[in-house]
Amino acid sequence: MRRVPFTLGLMALFMASPALSEIARIKQSSGTAFVERNAQQLKPAPGLQLLAGDRLVTGKDGRMSLTFVDNTRFAVGPNSRISVSEFQYDRTRQKGSFVTQVDRGSLAVVSGKIAKSDRDAMKVRTPNTLLGVRGTKFIIEVPE
Amino acid sequence: MAACLLLGGCATSSLVLLPDDEGHQGSVAVLEAGGKPTDAVIAQGNSRTKLGDPTPASQPLGDKGLKAQEAALLTSLPPPAKSFVLYFAQGTVTPAPESQAVLVALRSEIASRSGPQVEVTGHTDTVGSEEDNDRLSQQRAEEVLNWLAGQGIDRSLMSAVGRGERELKEPTVDNIGSATNRRVEVIVR
Repeated sequence: MRRVPFTLGLMALFMASPALSEIARIKQSSGTAFVERNAQQLKPAPGLQLLAGDRLVTGKDGRMSLTFVDNTRFAVGPNSRISVSEFQYDRTRQKGSFVTQVDRGSLAVVSGKIAKSDRDAMKVRTPNTLLGVRGTKFIIEVPE
Repeated sequence: MAACLLLGGCATSSLVLLPDDEGHQGSVAVLEAGGKPTDAVIAQGNSRTKLGDPTPASQPLGDKGLKAQEAALLTSLPPPAKSFVLYFAQGTVTPAPESQAVLVALRSEIASRSGPQVEVTGHTDTVGSEEDNDRLSQQRAEEVLNWLAGQGIDRSLMSAVGRGERELKEPTVDNIGSATNRRVEVIVR
């Protein structure tokens, strides 16, 4: 039932645990949706590991949901373009910094440990604002 | 559409603020609007606020509540993380009798999730230095991760973290042994 791609299989040989640079995993996706990484478009299959700098893109019928290693949860709506421009997290101390850029579309967020670790440690940028997330649940919508 | 972007947006961005799943209300600070710093804080729960103004005004969601697409978005959020605590006979990976039932529940939770992540977190009591406990708890987490892999849990789902003495389940002063604190927490996301 679980198909492990060849490259992941190779990685598993070299590491005792998943890539420590993993910041989140895709949980679900539907419709036109992909993860853009260094000009590559990756299929957002459940379990795909995300890295800082990844961009989440959906078409008019697209959706994606993901959970970060600090327990932050995202739901991406249709016609969206969202990137995680910064994600650093110390799992031992549960402190870090997290910056998300919403260029367009909609994003529901339930914030996690980074938002709790320090005032405005988690921020969201839209085309004309910079927001500091102080531990909560919200939806941000940026029209095209 | 391009003209709207050049003009800085014909339709404005908005933020819907909600209480969290435990009913607590957080807030979102508008640190900058239109490139200028602001002091505005959006703190009213169940509200919608148009962003872009230096002093944004929040409107209650009211009787109409959320828009259909907003409600759909919330439904598609992944489930919250769930935590399982395992206890072992001191210094071993022999699970305490009550941990067998926990292992069954853990397996079931992992199987029920799409794209699961499993974080095996080691905790210590306050005996020893912080640095020693960081190292010990990391080591313990790795031992238990290996044990879980031996019990059939897919290694590629798991990672090990040591939290040292930072999260005492039972508050104690420094250098007090506590079996309650010496535990491994397995978090399923």
